[in-house]
Amino acid sequence: MTRVIEYEHLKEKIYTRRIEPGLDAFVLPKKGFNKKYAIFATNFGSIDSHFIVEGEGKELLVPDGVAHFLEHKLFEEESGNVFDRFAVLGASSNAFTNFTNTAYLFSTTDNFSECLEILLDFVQEPYFTTESVEKEKGIIEQEIRMYEDNPQWRNFFNLLDALYQYHPVKIDIAGTVESIRQIDKDVLYKCYRTFYHPSNMTVFVVGDVDAEHVLDQVEANLAKRNYQPLGEIKRLFPEEPEEIARDYVEQSLVVSQPILNLGFKEHDVGYDGKALFKREIVTSLMLDMVFGSSSPLYNELYEEGLIDDEFEAGYVAEVGYGHTIVGGETSDPEKLAGRLVEGIQRRQREGIDAGTFEHYRRKMTGEFLKSFNSLEYIANSFPAYHFRKINFFDYLQVLQEVTVEDVNRRLVEHLDLKRMARSVIVPKTWKQ
Amino acid sequence: MAEMLHRRLPNGINVFIHPTKKFKTILVQLFFHRQLRREDVTQSALLPAVLQRGSAKYPSRRQLVLRLEELYGAELTADIVKKGERQLVVYTLDLVHDQYLPGENRILQEGLEILHELLTNPVLENGVFREEYVRQEKEQHEKVIKGLINDKIAYAIERCLQEMCREEPFSVFKYGTLEQLREIDATSLFGFYRRFMQESPAELHLSGDLEPEQTFALVQEIFRFDRGTEASVPPTQVHIPVKDVRYVTEELDVNQGKLVLGFRTGLTYADADYFALLLYNGILGGFPHSKLFQNVREKASLAYYAYSRLEKHKGLLLISSGIEFKNYEKTLAIIRKQIADMAAGNFSREDFDNTYNGLRNQFLVEEDNPAALINRTVDGILAGRVWTTTELLQKMQSVTRDDVVRVAEQVKLDTVYFMTRRGGA
Repeated sequence: MTRVIEYEHLKEKIYTRRIEPGLDAFVLPKKGFNKKYAIFATNFGSIDSHFIVEGEGKELLVPDGVAHFLEHKLFEEESGNVFDRFAVLGASSNAFTNFTNTAYLFSTTDNFSECLEILLDFVQEPYFTTESVEKEKGIIEQEIRMYEDNPQWRNFFNLLDALYQYHPVKIDIAGTVESIRQIDKDVLYKCYRTFYHPSNMTVFVVGDVDAEHVLDQVEANLAKRNYQPLGEIKRLFPEEPEEIARDYVEQSLVVSQPILNLGFKEHDVGYDGKALFKREIVTSLMLDMVFGSSSPLYNELYEEGLIDDEFEAGYVAEVGYGHTIVGGETSDPEKLAGRLVEGIQRRQREGIDAGTFEHYRRKMTGEFLKSFNSLEYIANSFPAYHFRKINFFDYLQVLQEVTVEDVNRRLVEHLDLKRMARSVIVPKTWKQ
Repeated sequence: MAEMLHRRLPNGINVFIHPTKKFKTILVQLFFHRQLRREDVTQSALLPAVLQRGSAKYPSRRQLVLRLEELYGAELTADIVKKGERQLVVYTLDLVHDQYLPGENRILQEGLEILHELLTNPVLENGVFREEYVRQEKEQHEKVIKGLINDKIAYAIERCLQEMCREEPFSVFKYGTLEQLREIDATSLFGFYRRFMQESPAELHLSGDLEPEQTFALVQEIFRFDRGTEASVPPTQVHIPVKDVRYVTEELDVNQGKLVLGFRTGLTYADADYFALLLYNGILGGFPHSKLFQNVREKASLAYYAYSRLEKHKGLLLISSGIEFKNYEKTLAIIRKQIADMAAGNFSREDFDNTYNGLRNQFLVEEDNPAALINRTVDGILAGRVWTTTELLQKMQSVTRDDVVRVAEQVKLDTVYFMTRRGGA
């Protein structure tokens, strides 16, 4: 049964259907666009590294980087590589893995149904061999090496490692050169069996397509596969204390100047749905008011030459963890950290007034509307929200429900210096 | 899609209006064209940063940003772009369309007024730019110039191009040099600003759900400032003979080697054979089905990325890949083999067709992206002819396998750059 949800303000309509054995599929028709974009995602990411294997009932702790490795290998088929089949149709295909999900996607202007069929087929038909798994190790090793030379990426993971004591979010999504050497086809199949069941997945399609036709196609593709219902997936996470692991971490790399990240760890986790969405929106609004490019603090620091225009603050709201990261390149990380702390405390004393709040709410309304230009952005965001039981399109409605009191409460509660860590990249001398 | 409107303002600014109903936004881009030359590239790159510090009406950076944010999070940014031996200073204003904002109907007008104010009415002190703003922005710009090293992939490409074109204007870094930056002060930069506004050929592009005549009238009403005679920008040097291949190695304390190969093709977007070169590049390294991805990555497991791309105004082709230090020779040999195979016509019908289909897809999806369409128009202006998507597809369709082999002969390796670990592999 297709449900149509209309968003009058956005002038958009979403078509959705629950498809046996439990997959929610969504279509957002976009008249006049040439591009048609489909994404098939599973609620399985790098943090899902410890679980009870489906069908065996046994606990398994997998090597770091397995979800990402599996993503690479799913493109392999008995007859060759899936990339080639998309290429024949003029489509481009890709995939990505993050902390909480893995997504496979294609973009095309023609042959949409054929492309969708390939996407649905290859994601549901794993083909892992010892030889192809071994061959992939060299490729992923170079992907890891590339990130080792990326200062922002290193600073980001160093900070997570300082914020979290045990939670697997502290571990690099791709794993390490050492950990991926332990991966074999058996562990890939075990992960696949546990997490790539339709009831743990979603399909999102956007473009100038016939919604009913697309949903029928997905339904027909799944119907022929004789899926058994999946019980509850048992993911095992270590007990993560409220306290951070360390308050300072530093690494030296070849960079022109230091980079500072300040992190604030969420202590009250476990929410999903609207409560989590509201928290994400409230926190983002608050961060923009404290650190955004029109805030007094940002402008003072900019004029002093302590930050540049890439300085930014962002919040991550997952069910099992959450954190804020603030930072950027700076000539003096020590001084900048001190000034940021002072700025936070000053703002916490003074609070945020109703006029400022409305200003930023209006700004965020505009930013959300602007994001609709990018079909990729919508399609890539939607599944990640869906897995947290959030409908991304409710954004404007939830934004309207937020109050200045919510933001002021969040300002005091979340930017808590007791749960703050600092990560710094310092320059190595590199001139010959 | 409705027709693009092109008309010139009395002060010489070319206005392009691209009507489309697909988007919830209006995109405004103003391009100033400059000759890419050592003498003043640093000034042009620094100037937008100083102007963004404030105007008479919004005298600080913060006041300007607050004003933009009031227009539902409007963003006004400035970028420096290099196309061939030409530097473009690009202002971008991204606005939400009124029709999604109940009760609003002046967003475009107010946005354009802010852009105009920022460009024509800077904060002055003793008749020149405010000294404090210039000093602070010079410090920020110094970090931009030095910051190239932070992205190793971009750094390696820039270094290869610098070495390859060391005797041509193309080697000039688009953000300029530290030496020149030191020489700049509030007075000299203000003098440059006056010249810049007077002489730089300029284009204003607007894309969105717009009625062309009304929009043009609005633009004409706002952008009234006087300008002088436009300076012509000399053509890019394209036909440079290649002698021996030059090998450059640089040692840095890094974890991955970066291999960049620079080729000269002698073909630009203005040449009839450009579309054959586009196919050539696509078969060689533009896609996952291409030779580089298949042979360097999929077969030999040497890299995560290995691709080629064109610089369409200078007639260059670049190959870039990140590899283990010790695999330099091995990777280079595989890449050379792919180049030789291209020249010998060793590519299949399927390689050719897949590439054609992939490029066709790319041209079509550009129509879904207002910035991409504007960029295509600018490329067309530089090449002397703006093509529609249909025309571009026709041109590509007429390319034959023989055409690709023919242009392959023109692709000449010039420089091999390798970033390696300190002390070598």
